[in-house]
Amino acid sequence: MTPSIAEYPVHERPFGLEWGPSPSVDDKALTPDHELMLAVRDGDLDCMGELFERHHGPLYGYLLKLTGNRSAAEDICQVVFQRMLKYRHTYRDQGSFTAWMYHLSRRCASDHFRKSSSAPIATDPSRLAEHADEAQSADESAASRDDHALLHRALGRLDRDDREVLLLSRLQELSFSEVAGILECSVGAARVRAHRALKTLRDHYLQLQKESPS
Amino acid sequence: MNCQTCHERMAELADARLDRETAASVRAHIEGCAECRREFESLSNTLKALDALPSAAPSHRLRARVMGQIETEKLTQRGGAEWASSIRRAADTRGSRFPWAGALVALLGACALVAVGFTLGERTATGRQVAELRARVDTMGQLVEQSVLQKGATGERIETVFATEREKPDEQVIDGLINSMAFDASVNVRLSALGALYHHSDQEVVRAAVLACLPRDPNPLVQVSMIDFLVAAKAHEASPELRKLVADSHADADVRESARRAIEQL
Repeated sequence: MTPSIAEYPVHERPFGLEWGPSPSVDDKALTPDHELMLAVRDGDLDCMGELFERHHGPLYGYLLKLTGNRSAAEDICQVVFQRMLKYRHTYRDQGSFTAWMYHLSRRCASDHFRKSSSAPIATDPSRLAEHADEAQSADESAASRDDHALLHRALGRLDRDDREVLLLSRLQELSFSEVAGILECSVGAARVRAHRALKTLRDHYLQLQKESPS
Repeated sequence: MNCQTCHERMAELADARLDRETAASVRAHIEGCAECRREFESLSNTLKALDALPSAAPSHRLRARVMGQIETEKLTQRGGAEWASSIRRAADTRGSRFPWAGALVALLGACALVAVGFTLGERTATGRQVAELRARVDTMGQLVEQSVLQKGATGERIETVFATEREKPDEQVIDGLINSMAFDASVNVRLSALGALYHHSDQEVVRAAVLACLPRDPNPLVQVSMIDFLVAAKAHEASPELRKLVADSHADADVRESARRAIEQL
């Protein structure tokens, strides 16, 4: 029997995602990112350290999935913060810090891919063991690692543009209109591209699951 | 709502990103369309798997590198003009082996300069050289961004320094090396730049720059290397600065000892 729509998962926020809105943004006791960046723009560079602490984790996670390479993700992440410092004077009063950061990261990633002609590769599956959920049983853990490895491979099979739009659309800090702004296209176009990328990922993922020995 | 529109909004429905009215409309379509229901289930599972991918933490190097850049930028912002003027002072007050007769030497020097200038007709040329030297020093602050921010990772910057070492030494190359030595966040890059500059230690601006950087470099290893550089370059003008280092109780013990030995050798 087909389940009712009410039984399908509808998530308040993505599963297991550590990229969610920065707690600092929601925490009224702390200065919002936008104000910190305005302070950086006005010469208080110590605030950049605070912005780094808040955002480098999610940004690195995004870049790791985008590039499939830890070293490249770190290098790009570093360049993003370099450029924030360098171009701090261009930060606008009405800007969104997160959208600006991902806008810069898109440019930096693009530069990286242009320099390194080699196609991005999926993360080494053996490294996934480092992040296995310790609460799981050994079998569950192994199965989970296999699934993660398959999904990494599926991500690696996506075109870079598809991977980019899909990963950006998964960032809960960004509205779809901000994603569209980063991609420099209309909201409708961003939505269509994200959907197509998701479908392609799903197809690759299912294909890989079929091919993998169970 | 048609199937195409429904498909496009499925991810947002799964994330509860849709407003209540649109969400209800998409849900209603999915309820009545078996194909869209299967599609929604399949895409939801893929999203769930994607979001469940472990998010690895970056290495500690990333924090160190970015914090180093921030500190460098702060230093540049705060001390750019100060540093440039310290080099200018160092370059202008070079070579005084007789500090006890500074005023007299300065007066005699000025008189001699004027006399020689008038006699040999080189007044214009001397003025031009001094102006060029000052102009080069003044532009160093602007070159900092090119040196520090436009370069890539540490390895890449070291390669750049080595490549620069092999180049024909013109003003821009020397300025680039000086900026790397003065402002690069990496100790290895600063040391490499210092090594490359040794080939140009006959130039006054190079010795003046090393002397200006010596008290402000945060790393004792680099400071000791700078002291060795000044000794090897026979930079007698470094003695006052070295004496200050020896007397500075906050300075690293090895640096003070190196400075003391350097004074003896100079």
